[in-house]
Amino acid sequence: MKYLTTFLFITLLAIGCAGESDTEQQSAEFSGEGVEVEGAWARPASEGRMSAAYFLISNFNDSDDQLIGVESDVAQLVEIHESYEREEGMMGMREVPEVDLPSQSTVRFQQGGLHIMLIQVTRTLADGDTFELTLHFDNSESQTIEVPVRL
Amino acid sequence: MKIKNLFYIAILISTLFMLQACSSPALDDYSDVQFELTDQNGELVTFPDDFEGSPVVMGFIYTHCPDICSFITSNVKKVYEEIDNPSDTKFLLVTFDPERDTPEVLKNYAQAFDMDREPFHFLTGDSETIDRFMERVSVRVQESYSREVESGDRMYFLNHTDKILLINKNSELIFDYGGSMTPVNIITEDLQKLL
Ligand SMILES: [Cu+2]
Repeated sequence: MKYLTTFLFITLLAIGCAGESDTEQQSAEFSGEGVEVEGAWARPASEGRMSAAYFLISNFNDSDDQLIGVESDVAQLVEIHESYEREEGMMGMREVPEVDLPSQSTVRFQQGGLHIMLIQVTRTLADGDTFELTLHFDNSESQTIEVPVRL
Repeated sequence: MKIKNLFYIAILISTLFMLQACSSPALDDYSDVQFELTDQNGELVTFPDDFEGSPVVMGFIYTHCPDICSFITSNVKKVYEEIDNPSDTKFLLVTFDPERDTPEVLKNYAQAFDMDREPFHFLTGDSETIDRFMERVSVRVQESYSREVESGDRMYFLNHTDKILLINKNSELIFDYGGSMTPVNIITEDLQKLL
């Protein structure tokens, strides 16, 4: 019985680790065309301060792609970032040069993980405002999306 | 992802039961310390004296961090929004970057989150006081990378402990949570027991 408990515990740990990825393999109900960006939003911030933007990117193509850059006039610097746990309970943030977008899957930019870092926003972003963000891909055409600001 | 969350919840619940089994649930007692801090309005505040008699939810942030720290700040706000009778509880967000997070900067930050109002308090202080405070609450901070911005200034970022603390009316530390990782309802349920 003791061994079974240990086994279950280790299995749970293993499943926990497997769930770490921000990429989801899709099955049923996954349909669309090309590379689609949805559910975008960003944090409010006053002029000169920091904000972060989030969204989901789905790659419906039969071939893999990559997000290789982001651009916007809403901030002095716009970077692809990820927050990560450096060691027990200690969080850090680092720049990610490109993000893999495997075929038929969705990549989640979300709080505590991948995010678009907006360093020194050029105007105050209040709840309800919007701004444009351009995403560059390795194999697909660039896309400009509208990002609403919300709390 | 969901299974991972369930796993965290399971661990938290078992920790809860373990803690309840102990006769003394306090993890620390802050009643014998005094930290002179300044809030977003420039008013002097003493922790924990000025908050004694109220439960306290306290998060640690720096405002140059829009992801994890915004997550912590909005989690603190969500705890406030979700509890039944929040009026008695104080909600504190303390910066570990006092050089840049002046009262004015904290006020702007609070306004962006619609939290520049009671019962929220954004606190900073002199570097020496903040260092001692962070040491006491076991928040570790280290400089990570930096960027040169248009003005030619160097902007630095920090690695830091991610936590929210729950403190009772007697300034005793009752729970210590992962600030951005812990589901808000777990903090809310623990807080409800202190009201
Ligand atoms: Cu970042």
